[in-house]
Amino acid sequence: MALPNQQTVDYPSFKLVIVGDGGTGKTTFVKRHLTGEFEKKYEPTIGVEVHPLDFFTNCGKIRFYCWDTAGQEKFGGLRDGYYIHGQCAIIMFDVTARLTYKNVPTWHRDLCRVCENIPIVLCGNKVDVRNRQVKAKQVTFHRKKNLQYYEISAKSNYNFEKPFLYLARKLAGDPALHFVESPALAPPEVQIDLAAQQQHEAELVAAASQPLPDDDDDAFE
Amino acid sequence: MASTEPEHEHREDEEAAANEDEDTGAQVAPIVKLEEVAVSTGEENEEAILELKAKLYRFDKNGKQWKERGAGTVKFLKHKESNKVRLVMRQSKTLKICANHLVISTMSVQEHAGNEKSCVWHATDFADGELKDELFCIRFASIENCKTFMEKFQEVAESQSTKEEDQETSAAAGLLDKLTVEEKKTEDEAGDDAPVASEEEIESDSEKLEKKNEEPASSS
Repeated sequence: MALPNQQTVDYPSFKLVIVGDGGTGKTTFVKRHLTGEFEKKYEPTIGVEVHPLDFFTNCGKIRFYCWDTAGQEKFGGLRDGYYIHGQCAIIMFDVTARLTYKNVPTWHRDLCRVCENIPIVLCGNKVDVRNRQVKAKQVTFHRKKNLQYYEISAKSNYNFEKPFLYLARKLAGDPALHFVESPALAPPEVQIDLAAQQQHEAELVAAASQPLPDDDDDAFE
Repeated sequence: MASTEPEHEHREDEEAAANEDEDTGAQVAPIVKLEEVAVSTGEENEEAILELKAKLYRFDKNGKQWKERGAGTVKFLKHKESNKVRLVMRQSKTLKICANHLVISTMSVQEHAGNEKSCVWHATDFADGELKDELFCIRFASIENCKTFMEKFQEVAESQSTKEEDQETSAAAGLLDKLTVEEKKTEDEAGDDAPVASEEEIESDSEKLEKKNEEPASSS
């Protein structure tokens, strides 16, 4: 587990604390950024999981150590012990579950007791769902407490980069900071022998019969 | 905070879209000072010979299921000197790499069962900076785009095949068809000089190749 303020890379890194009620999509959001996958299955986070997440910007590479904390009280672990030395934060709620928005002030209060004056983004997740319980105009907490607010969908990737972009801009004090193409290094030459090739082909045939997880006709951005 | 990105089409309240990029956050002191750096895409010496929007999946062999890898732009990039072609795909918005591998002669792209907008292939991928065996599936917005992609993929793989046979004489062992060709060659040399069909094919392929390699410095 990463320790507070650890610097294991030679480029700037920040501790990002992610809080919010259980089931609002904190882990799914982090995983989406890490591997690209969209995890549908709900497995509550126990205590905390720390994942390094790199971004390439016009000011070089930066890293967020994402402290993905348990939302469910019974799995809370050290709770606000995880917030120590947090340098930025995301508070997540689920726009399809009103209670998760009602609990935002509690998460915010606990966070601010430990971390003073850090940039915080409030994220209303699951905006792809048709039947919302919390409409955009009902979200007002961020105005009272001076937070940034984004409506996001970990499922459709809507605004999924915005929380990180906002935090990076605030941490660097540079409103013009933006993401750039990460260098696509030349892949090394690979020798594939016949046995390996046959195995890949057999695996491919099996895989080709499996359906895609989201085999619908949505448009691409 | 001004955004240069186009407005998204999305199902949501209009008022949300209107103030999407308004900064309501508190003024906080920055904790790092970052200087602008020179940006390298790593693609500077290559030319995109195909570029399409798509969604990429990788096969999870343990879970026996396809998992999303990213949505963005897939490109075939042809190196200006070596003429090698690689497939590079970047996630939109974050511009991170979700696939990066050479297209070589032993590869073939195949249809994905029951879906005309998607296709599958195997690659030794370098997206994360280490070589990994991956089964990929890619899905396009239209059947037409999928067809274009598959044709280009196959065309590139085939064009690489003769090139490799020209270049590597030693290391290439293992490919059956090559072995048979070489056997025939030896037989021919031992006997009379009447060319057999397989040898003719090779010759015409390498002629084609030479026409493609317009830069004289390209062949080693």
